[in-house]
Amino acid sequence: METRIRRIYVRLAGLLLAGAVAAPFSSAAIAQSDQELDDIISPDLERREIREAKIDSEDFEFTLYLGGILSVEDFGTDRMIGGSLAYHINEDFFMEAAYAQSTLGESSYERLSGSAPLLTEDERDLSMYNLSLAWNFLPGEIFIGSKFALNSNLYLIGGAGNTNFAGEEHFTYNVGAGVRLLAQDWLALRLDVRDHIFEHEIFGEPLNTNNLSAQLGVSIYF
Amino acid sequence: MNRQLGFRAHRGAVATAALLILGVLGSLSSSVYAQSETAEDEPVSDSFTARQFGERQPQTLSFDSERVIVGAEFLNLYTGPGRGYVIDHVVEYGEPLWLLKRRTDWVKVMTRTGKTGWAKIAELDEIYTAEGEQVAIPTPGIDDFYEQSFRMGFTYGDFAGANSMGISLGYRFTGNISAELRAAQTIGAYSDSQTYQVALMHQPFPRWRLSPYFLLGTGINITSPNATIVATEDRKDTAMLAGLGVTTYLSRRFALRAEVANHYLLTSREENQEIVEWKLGFDVFM
Repeated sequence: METRIRRIYVRLAGLLLAGAVAAPFSSAAIAQSDQELDDIISPDLERREIREAKIDSEDFEFTLYLGGILSVEDFGTDRMIGGSLAYHINEDFFMEAAYAQSTLGESSYERLSGSAPLLTEDERDLSMYNLSLAWNFLPGEIFIGSKFALNSNLYLIGGAGNTNFAGEEHFTYNVGAGVRLLAQDWLALRLDVRDHIFEHEIFGEPLNTNNLSAQLGVSIYF
Repeated sequence: MNRQLGFRAHRGAVATAALLILGVLGSLSSSVYAQSETAEDEPVSDSFTARQFGERQPQTLSFDSERVIVGAEFLNLYTGPGRGYVIDHVVEYGEPLWLLKRRTDWVKVMTRTGKTGWAKIAELDEIYTAEGEQVAIPTPGIDDFYEQSFRMGFTYGDFAGANSMGISLGYRFTGNISAELRAAQTIGAYSDSQTYQVALMHQPFPRWRLSPYFLLGTGINITSPNATIVATEDRKDTAMLAGLGVTTYLSRRFALRAEVANHYLLTSREENQEIVEWKLGFDVFM
């Protein structure tokens, strides 16, 4: 009985000893296999730092109308002044906020009937603003003679805004097209033709009018 | 006999010359082969044809433009910033370029001979500094949207049945809180009005794809009734504003925004007036 117990002790001690001696070897073996796996698996890539370039952007365009005419239905054609600010979203699209002013002439009714004028002098002042989206759908070059070619854009444009005249506000849609000639990459000449569509009641009943404008402008990118 | 000897000697000379040439060629080709093996771990440097220009610099260079080296096989330069313009110059691997300015997705560059052209940003994905560090051209993206400070907004909407058009100028203090100055003009069948407001916005979850926000504000409404026959007075009322909306990033510098707001007009008449306004618009952040 005693001997059996002693034998068990000896066995236990032996097992413990064996374990204690073997432990570092086994962990070393595991580490070694890890190292081998790492060599096989880990990517042979060096991560490269990427720095951002310090560079100015030039996405805005300011336009001043050198000359413009606005024809308001029944009120004749008059000079228009104004300007616009555009933001170029990408090479295909830009958005533009525009403002323009004009002073209207006499309507044909006033001239022919000889009656009292419909509008006071102040009410003949017209001002409008709009926000439009344009699509550069024909970029290319325009040749002047055989030596010079200017970069150009033909764009379609449309938007919504407000026209104030005859003491009233009129919600106004505009559609049109334009051409831009780039003399330098920061300087351009623009010609726009637009139709401003709004409804007024100056003659007593609602009338939907199409009012055409054409303006020549010089624009600067910044 | 003599002639034969001379001919033979001559032939020997030709043979040795040929051998010499072959030997030189062989050694050259082996050195070229060795070079091509090591070329992969060298940084981008001047190409063979570029060496004849040496360290030439363009004469008309502005002082702040950055010098980079082309790491792609070649780079097309267009006459203008767009697909529709002409490719009139090509820059090859290893040549230096100076970055002048960016417009939309294009960069104006100058070559060492002083020629300028426009390169697509997508094709400038492999440019390096002289130290071999890679350079990227920054373009506006969603990070700028999260880090924005000032923003401009344009809205179109329905103000109790009338067309309303508005602009706003916003400033973001923290990720959640921003302030806005708003101006809108409405054009209706019976009256026109102008509203000017200052509002405070709170975005509880600014990083959500569709991020909701709440709005509190105050301002004035100037209402002018449309009357062509009777002369009427403009009314000026103080307004309180409460609203909620949702904003989502579109692309580049644009975010889309939809909003419903309740205007509570403190009128001088018997009872106050409530107006519900629906708006759809976009923000351009800077």
